[in-house]
Amino acid sequence: MSSASPMISVQNVWKVFGNNPEKVIGSADANLSRTELRAKTGNTIAVRDVSFDVAPGEVFVVMGLSGSGKSTLVRCMTRLIEPTQGQLQFEGEDILKVDEKRLRELRKTRFSMVFQHFGLLPHRKVIDNIAYSLEINGVKKDDRHARANEVIELVGLQGYAHAYPEQLSGGMQQRVGLARALAVDPQVLFLDEPFSALDPLIRRDMQQEIIRLHYELGKTMVFITHDLSEAVKVGDRIAIMRDGAIVQIGTPQELVANPADEYVANFVRDIAKSHVLTLKHIARKAEPGDATDGPELPSNTIIRDAAQVILQSHKPVRVNDNGTALGIVSSEDVLRLISGGV
Amino acid sequence: MKSLFGRRSAIVTAAIATALVLSGCGSSVNDSASEASGDCGSYAIAMHAWGGYTASAQVIADVARQELGCTITQTTLEEGPVTYDAMEAGTIDLIIEDWGGGRWKDWSDRGAVVEAGENGNIGIIGMYVAPWMVEKYPDITDSKNLNKYAALFKTADSGGKGAWFEGPTGYTTIGEKMVSANKLNFKVIFSGSEAALVDGFIKAEKNKTPFIGYAWQPWTLHSKLPTLEAARVKFPANDWSDPAAASGLTDYPSTPLIKLMSKKLNDANDPFTSLVKNFKWTNADQNGVAADLENGMTAEEAAKKWIDANAATVASWVGK
Amino acid sequence: MKVRKSYLLLASVTVWILLGRLLNGTHTLQIATYENTPFTSFVGEKALDLRGNRTESPAFIYFFNPIRGAIDGFVQMIRNLIAVPGQNSVIPVIGWLGVVAIVAFVVYATSQWRTALLSVSLLLACGALGMWQFTMDSIAMTLAAVLLSLAIGIPLGIWAGLSDRVLKIFTPFLDLAQILPTLVYMAPIALVFMIGAASATIATMIYSIPIAIRITSHAIRSLNQAPVEAAESMGSTNMQKLSKVQIPMAKQMIVLGINQTVMAAVSFVVIAALIGAPGLGKPVIDALIIRNVGQGFVAGFAVVFLAILLDRSTSAAAKRQVSFIPPTQKQIKTKRLTLIVAGILAVVSVFVSRTMLWAAVWPKEVTIAPQVAKVTNDITAWILENLTIFTVGFKDLISYGFLNPLETQLAASPWYVTVGMIVALALIIGGTRTAIMSFVLSMAIVLSGLWYEAMLTLTQTIVGCLLTMIVGLALGIWTGRSDRVEKVLRPFLDAGQTLPAFVYLVPMLGLFGPTRFTAIATGIVYSIPVVVKIVSEGIRAVPQTLIEAATAAGSTTRQIITKVQLPAAKKTILLATNQGLIYVLAVVVIGGFVGAGGLGYLVIAGNSKPELQGKGLIAGVAILLLGVIFDRIMQAGARRSS
Repeated sequence: MSSASPMISVQNVWKVFGNNPEKVIGSADANLSRTELRAKTGNTIAVRDVSFDVAPGEVFVVMGLSGSGKSTLVRCMTRLIEPTQGQLQFEGEDILKVDEKRLRELRKTRFSMVFQHFGLLPHRKVIDNIAYSLEINGVKKDDRHARANEVIELVGLQGYAHAYPEQLSGGMQQRVGLARALAVDPQVLFLDEPFSALDPLIRRDMQQEIIRLHYELGKTMVFITHDLSEAVKVGDRIAIMRDGAIVQIGTPQELVANPADEYVANFVRDIAKSHVLTLKHIARKAEPGDATDGPELPSNTIIRDAAQVILQSHKPVRVNDNGTALGIVSSEDVLRLISGGV
Repeated sequence: MKSLFGRRSAIVTAAIATALVLSGCGSSVNDSASEASGDCGSYAIAMHAWGGYTASAQVIADVARQELGCTITQTTLEEGPVTYDAMEAGTIDLIIEDWGGGRWKDWSDRGAVVEAGENGNIGIIGMYVAPWMVEKYPDITDSKNLNKYAALFKTADSGGKGAWFEGPTGYTTIGEKMVSANKLNFKVIFSGSEAALVDGFIKAEKNKTPFIGYAWQPWTLHSKLPTLEAARVKFPANDWSDPAAASGLTDYPSTPLIKLMSKKLNDANDPFTSLVKNFKWTNADQNGVAADLENGMTAEEAAKKWIDANAATVASWVGK
Repeated sequence: MKVRKSYLLLASVTVWILLGRLLNGTHTLQIATYENTPFTSFVGEKALDLRGNRTESPAFIYFFNPIRGAIDGFVQMIRNLIAVPGQNSVIPVIGWLGVVAIVAFVVYATSQWRTALLSVSLLLACGALGMWQFTMDSIAMTLAAVLLSLAIGIPLGIWAGLSDRVLKIFTPFLDLAQILPTLVYMAPIALVFMIGAASATIATMIYSIPIAIRITSHAIRSLNQAPVEAAESMGSTNMQKLSKVQIPMAKQMIVLGINQTVMAAVSFVVIAALIGAPGLGKPVIDALIIRNVGQGFVAGFAVVFLAILLDRSTSAAAKRQVSFIPPTQKQIKTKRLTLIVAGILAVVSVFVSRTMLWAAVWPKEVTIAPQVAKVTNDITAWILENLTIFTVGFKDLISYGFLNPLETQLAASPWYVTVGMIVALALIIGGTRTAIMSFVLSMAIVLSGLWYEAMLTLTQTIVGCLLTMIVGLALGIWTGRSDRVEKVLRPFLDAGQTLPAFVYLVPMLGLFGPTRFTAIATGIVYSIPVVVKIVSEGIRAVPQTLIEAATAAGSTTRQIITKVQLPAAKKTILLATNQGLIYVLAVVVIGGFVGAGGLGYLVIAGNSKPELQGKGLIAGVAILLLGVIFDRIMQAGARRSS
């Protein structure tokens, strides 16, 4: 996936909390477990030597359990938290070197953020929340309201412009959060567990919404979540974090099919494989007795999408990868996978 | 931000502003009422809290208002340095009765406070027993016999000795010195306020319980307990001429009470200045007014009664 | 661990008692009241020099005196507006009708008509009590002190809310200001700023600024951080973050802080009269001096009315914005219309109050003061007549049973024995740091030369606090467990907290005479409301699940109280004890007015006798040191127990 010029490049970023954080990096202490380190020096390593690139237009998901450092990482990327060490480039510009003024300019115009707990200003109407960043950009009131109304339409908040945040449901509030982030038309959206605080049904709607927005606007996104199924659903690539370090980066299929270690394997075990894997992963050689004249499907079809065809067909489906026959998939194969086997 | 709060506070501000502007212009009661002034300025009299003081202060204040047309404010505050400071600061102009025996010296040395002579009252301070005890123990008023009765005066607070109720905080008190100089088996209890003493004497007299406490003349308590003066304990006389010789003090001296003026009042030399200098009356005068106060008259009523009855004296004060 | 601690405590108390008995009467450091130590006479001389310097030294000419002048001028301006006639006039700028109308209008504008009605009734009641001018003076003083306190306190509070370092620097001062009995710092202030409105205002501000700072900083700190972070992520500057996000969000709580600041200032109204504040304090203190219970209560009621008025009108303003959602257009229109009408009425009333004498000066005939005074006097007389036997009996019981033995132990033991005991207690309860601090502070008291008096005050404070805790715990548990009791007691607790201690010093004096117990009883009455409130909150804060679990296990009510609620609320109860101690200490000091002796007497005597001035000032410091020792030991204990 890595193209010639990434949108964001993160190289060897560390964040250590506590006194004299620089001393920990590179010392033997850096290899201690978190509890040992805290007992010894009082420091906590939140982000440990993390590197990755994000391509333009990509949805890059950082996935990890709570305390894995993913929220700290995303804050380091916008310098809401200063990284202790490392390089961070945004369209080739070294973010860690820019002064306060330039940093504010970047925040105002190039990247914006969506928060788990929305972070809406309770004393402002929806429209003034959305127009906030335009307001501090010095945009005149009429102009910023016009822009805010556009975004309101984009996220489906028509009719709520003059409501106050606390009059809205959680899902609606996060739409405001999204709209606010989109108002300045940024290159990159950072979404910090944007849907974790929402009910499951609303969460699903919002995930669809993100997918739609990404499709329509093509923004680069860095998406933080603790929910693997969400990661799989929205992410082009997923980085799995544990104790501040990245364990594995890959497409959903790569993670499910080839977990790097036990930890990742444990993680992906519960994922409904039918939602992630394609026919390519379960195609097998036709055995004697298998009918070989069933319907034909491309090998990159996700199993879930192929399921109906396969289950309704009385014969196994033939899997075709750009003209090459890879094998067949029968109803039994699909049922076995869905019910938890391989 | 078209919140109601904003709009509402705008209305409120506007209304208050209008009110203030209105009050700044237009005719007011003030204009029609700025009559009485004469050539007497406006002064503040310190109001100390005891009844006798109130009597004197109210009388001179009302005379100044009615006869001289002065503007007089009466300000309650504690006696002593507090008031001297206020005089130095220019917020008080007159103390009509000071018992302090020269403790204003630091201030008068600086010229902040000026003595205006005696006010005619003679202050007598002493230790008094509850009057009923004099009848029962006739020799108790001789200080030599006090130790004989010390056990009678024991209370929960006196640590096994007799309880000796000392005067209020600001007053001249030498109880500890008297106890040691007269070798008395008593413990000094600071009653802290005049009220505490009044209470102590009246209760003791009523319940026929033993009590020895600080009292003085002129004082309104005497009108409630007419036999109190006879219950004064006589101590050997002592030499008051040298207050520094502290340890030898055996009793309080009689004190002529002093009037004190602020520098401003002294320098003004206007009718009020001469009224202050001329003001002089007797213990009986003061006790009379104080008794009326005590019996429920307001200060103004009591003062008026005395002023009306003593036109000649008043005339001599104001020089008419 | 717990067992060992109590054994240690027991052992050290035993040793202390034995040593105290053995060495009774030696090294007590007692000196006669009129005697000075070299240190106190040195301080006294310096104080006298200071008085003399006030017209000469540059520090006064260029710093203190201008401050005094400015504050005096400010206060005088407000007073001239509503309370006293200015130069060449016989009435204030706005007469009583105008004041009533303005109050009604402002309260109506910031809350509802019901509160406005209440405020007007309370104001009129103050007038009917014959206290109109005193009340106006008190309002003027309070207003001046509050405005200045907020002007200083809110910015500092915001600063402390934004910066951890600033908060860290402020905290010890804020803590100190909470412990400091008011009587203590009035003398030094009066020394520098002289008796008068300026000193009173500054003393009030010292009391109320810390509250404004504390609440403002807490308001900023306790904000939902998500919007703040969001604003930062959008590139706001710190100023934009503050003005567009933090302050608007914290506004509601800051207004609550204004309410608390106002209440602090009101509670100062009475005591400030001691250093020349005009207002309701004067009649209260006069009543104390001539022991007129009726007059004391008339003025005391006016103080309470004023306190309720200011509380309700400012807390309503705080509550009005529970939600950030403003009312609908229609509501706005109706309110705006009524506001305009009310505004016109107010303006007309102000105008009338300037042109008509009846509306300018409160009519003397409209008064209920004599009746109120008579009723309270009669009630008091009856109580004195009929209950003195009980009260004196109770007083003697406490005096012989607790006060005298404890006083012997504390004051008649050699100083080093008692210091040793205090340090041992601090060590066992609070640990090494607390012990070192207690040692240093105790030694400072010893060196000040006022150890003996300090021990007298300590005795009274301890006994007062014990009694307070007995009553306060019982009432606190009761109110904590029953909503009905809480509902009934609440108004009394509120009134008890606003009624100045001076007001009940007068009837207490009647009941107990000039004794140590009078001071203690006043301290108890004064501190019980706060203890009850804290304890009942602690009891209420015990999770319901715990109680349900205990009930399900078949506990009796008594077991639930002793085994569940009290242990769970232990920390709160320790804090309540701490508050109780500080409150009792503050009042025991005032007890110097009614025969309690000790440090309080010296503070008061220092105010009125030049030769005792140094001793009085040092006594103030010694009270503060005692308070800090208490506070540190108790706080350390509370910290450790949690």
